[in-house]
Amino acid sequence: MSIPATVPLKPAPWKDPSARPYVQLERLTKKFGDFTAVDDISLKIYQGEIFCLLGASGCGKTTLLRMLGGFETPTSGKILIDGEDMAGVPPYQRPVNMMFQSYAIFPHMNVEQNVAFGLKQDGVSKAQIKERVATMLDLVKMGDFARRKPHQLSGGQRQRVALARSLVKRPKLLLLDEPLGALDKKLREHTQFELISLQEKLGVTFVVVTHDQEEAMTLASRIGVMNHGEIVQTGTPSEIYEFPSTKFVADFIGSVNMFEGKLVEDEPNYVRIQSDELGSTIFVNHGISSPPQAVVWAAIRPEKIFMSIARPEGTDNIVQGAVQDIAYLGDLSIFLVKLPTGKVVRVTRPNTSRHSEEITWDQQVYLNWDSTSPVVVTR
Amino acid sequence: MAKRSLLKRLGISGGTFVVAVPYIWLLLFFAVPFIIVLKISFSDIDLAIPPYKPLIESAGNHLIAIKLNFNNYFFLFTDSLYFSAFLNSIKVAFISTVLCLLVGYPMAYGIARSAPATRNILLLLVVLPFWTSLLLRVYAWIGLLKANGVINNVLQWMGLIDEPLPMLYTQFAMYIGIVYSYLPFMILPLYSNLEKMNWQLLEAAQDLGCRPWQSFYKITLPLSRNGILAGSMLVFIPAVGEFVIPALLGGPNALMIGRILWDEFFSNRAWPVASAVAILLLIVLVPFMMWYQSVQARESAGDGR
Amino acid sequence: MWSVVRSALTVACSLLILAGCGGKSSAGKGEGDAAAKSGKVLNLYIWSDYLAANTLPDFEKQTGIKVNVAYFDTNETLETKLLAGSSGYDVVLPTASYFERQIKAGVYQSFDKSKLPNLKNMDPQLMLLVAMHDPNNAHGLIYLWGTNGIGYNEKMVKSILPNEPLDTWKLVFDPVYASKLAKCGISVLDSPAEVFRAVYNYLGKDPNSQKPEDLVVAEDVLMKIRPYIRNINSSEYIEALANGDVCVSVGYSGDVLQSRDRAREANKGIEIKYIVPKEGTILWFDMLAIPKDAPHPDSAYAFINYLMQPEVMASISNFKRFANANAAALPLVDKSVTGDPVIYPTPEERKRLSVQLADSIDQTRAITRIWQRFKTGR
Repeated sequence: MSIPATVPLKPAPWKDPSARPYVQLERLTKKFGDFTAVDDISLKIYQGEIFCLLGASGCGKTTLLRMLGGFETPTSGKILIDGEDMAGVPPYQRPVNMMFQSYAIFPHMNVEQNVAFGLKQDGVSKAQIKERVATMLDLVKMGDFARRKPHQLSGGQRQRVALARSLVKRPKLLLLDEPLGALDKKLREHTQFELISLQEKLGVTFVVVTHDQEEAMTLASRIGVMNHGEIVQTGTPSEIYEFPSTKFVADFIGSVNMFEGKLVEDEPNYVRIQSDELGSTIFVNHGISSPPQAVVWAAIRPEKIFMSIARPEGTDNIVQGAVQDIAYLGDLSIFLVKLPTGKVVRVTRPNTSRHSEEITWDQQVYLNWDSTSPVVVTR
Repeated sequence: MAKRSLLKRLGISGGTFVVAVPYIWLLLFFAVPFIIVLKISFSDIDLAIPPYKPLIESAGNHLIAIKLNFNNYFFLFTDSLYFSAFLNSIKVAFISTVLCLLVGYPMAYGIARSAPATRNILLLLVVLPFWTSLLLRVYAWIGLLKANGVINNVLQWMGLIDEPLPMLYTQFAMYIGIVYSYLPFMILPLYSNLEKMNWQLLEAAQDLGCRPWQSFYKITLPLSRNGILAGSMLVFIPAVGEFVIPALLGGPNALMIGRILWDEFFSNRAWPVASAVAILLLIVLVPFMMWYQSVQARESAGDGR
Repeated sequence: MWSVVRSALTVACSLLILAGCGGKSSAGKGEGDAAAKSGKVLNLYIWSDYLAANTLPDFEKQTGIKVNVAYFDTNETLETKLLAGSSGYDVVLPTASYFERQIKAGVYQSFDKSKLPNLKNMDPQLMLLVAMHDPNNAHGLIYLWGTNGIGYNEKMVKSILPNEPLDTWKLVFDPVYASKLAKCGISVLDSPAEVFRAVYNYLGKDPNSQKPEDLVVAEDVLMKIRPYIRNINSSEYIEALANGDVCVSVGYSGDVLQSRDRAREANKGIEIKYIVPKEGTILWFDMLAIPKDAPHPDSAYAFINYLMQPEVMASISNFKRFANANAAALPLVDKSVTGDPVIYPTPEERKRLSVQLADSIDQTRAITRIWQRFKTGR
């Protein structure tokens, strides 16, 4: 769903060296006492992006967002928004709005007053306020609830009010802290798409903090995966998924089978990895840059492993194991296959045919994968 | 066991009993004394034991005559003294309430925003004065404020003043005493209100363009309205009838309704007039209490913050 | 010291007491004792610290009667309890002006004088004075007595009024004097009936006048000096006088004596003097009386009779340094007590003393009302 992927006519701004970033972080660090919440992050975010900061709780993503909003002061480093240094600029003077995780809707004001709050603060004329609030409420489909008090609203409705309130001031940059976290699953999926269409319509740059990888994958033009205060990888959702740069990213996004091994053949156009865990070698049809005999990991996604009762053709990338467990999920099934080495491999198979080859518990099966499928990471 | 079986024999279940206790309490310690005071307020003064005439007299022929004497109430309106004392009491109570609010709000706010560990210590400090008697604390103020008391001695020693400042037995001393004594009643409800506050609301307000003081004025203050009301009522209502603090710290010109009540009861031995003053005091205060109740009820029904 | 406060608390309690005017009060604590069954109990209600150390122990030893003591600190407190009825006390000590009214309210029983053989020891002249309150001394007799007058700080007053005579109510009630003394502080008792007596004495009127026109004149005097009055209270002035917060106090002889002692103890060179003004002043008598519904009247008689023994009374006077009305005890009282003019007024002074008779209900109300105006200065 990422926008650049669907609009490939123009090169993505992050691939265009002449493009001017809208938000620029330079060696940004934030320490709370001995604890480093954000560790030396440099990052460029471009106009019109939905940039997701993805990470587990405590990884520093919210701290980063709050520094952008002006609610935390960086220990060192710089934040530039639209080329302007934000050091010492208080929240109420930044060209930025934030949607809080708790939504922070003012309980003593009705929906209309909440949305109008920021405009009143800016001294916008009454007629204008009325018009802009009405337009915005219609946009988030809350027009009928203008006079409701917050405690009379559902979670989804509150989320819309919070969104409307932060967007009505027409910020160039909107910061969203777990915008969908308080919603149930169904509503969340629905809202994700609404959020994207709204963003496209208004042309606002979004920076979204989330711990939910699915949400990030759906929303983001690019994702920054965070761990221990650092951004470990930045890229489009597919880049992150298909080409994770570290073990952590591979593990964090989706599920993956990770095999530890040593490079035994290291050629410019292929490598071979000896993995004791697998009890076999892994053949990868591209070269990697790593010293020989180094410890590496081969990551293979479960949907990229094929499973058959008969031994497939070929010599490389084939192992045998016994089916230990099966989970039927409707659209697909998950198989856990135990190798003779004791390692359990996760395999998914789409239930494309109702008469697919019957595989049951304790059955001996062969697993194989394309030589293009493994991703080799060195850390 | 014996008690239980007795209750059972009377057909009173445990549940009924538990519910009944507060009602019995109210009946015994509020309704009954109130009715008796009301009764006395309608009787005539008499030099006897007790010093008023009975309301109910036998009129012969198995008839009973009930004489309600409204003169005690009319009397209160014939002399401007009572009205001005009421007015003065309300004024003193109002000023004390405002002062308590001005002093107590920042304290409650500070406690609510401090770290949880410090918070308990600070709350303890707020409640600590209750561990000693009110009288002792008021007497301590006498020691501080009197002509050769601690404050004057320190000021003189520092050379800031030559003559001791007359502080004791002034309005100033009275307000200090009242504000000091009632401050916890202001701080505690305010604190419990502010403590529930979602501070992210303030960040949201700043994010939408409010300077810190604006976000306080537009968000914190309106949201703590119920705490302000609760604290103000807890200070205002007892302060109207306050007697001890003005008597000990205030000047002789602090004419408050509590003193009037005392004079009527003890100096004039006019129990009926004293009772009428007490009933009127109650009538003056009831609207405040009802208003407060309705606000409280609205809060518990209202915005589920 | 605690009078106002205690009374304040009793306002609340009293509202409950008036509720239960038939209910039991707190005094009869010894009711359950075996002694109570044999009638050997006495419930005494008295001013605090108003007996010699050995008075009660000796009585208990002599008679086998156990004494339960409760203390009051204002006449108002005592009166409220008595008027509420069923106080449970056997012997109480009201001040004479209150006592007179309480007799009229039917609070006390008349003495069976055959049970009080020691009555013969009493000073007949003083008993004659109290008979003005209580005809034939039927309901009470004098325990201790004293005068109302002016206590003053000798050094401070002399420095302001070096050449003036100081034995006069003018110090307080004449604006010329009062305005000068205001600098070092004047206090008056918060006791309207007694201050009005002083004003009437100052004006040369009958101190017990009930005439409305006299009230007007007295109010005028009071309002004119109001700006010069620093404190109006009945107990704090003891301390204030002793430490120099005020220099002139209208007060009780006993209190001024206490103030003098405290000033001497503090040793800051403050000397407190007491005068019986030459215009005349009132006497106060603390009476011994038995409530009508006293549960142990025999114990009450035994106790009162015991107190009238010369040596018992003399030891009380020596110990508390108050004047008694027991003629037989007088030779046994220390010379330092009988010779102290603060305690025993000189014959010259005695001529100027008068009794404070009870006011009518209307007079009381009028005085209270003026007093409230006086206090508020409006």
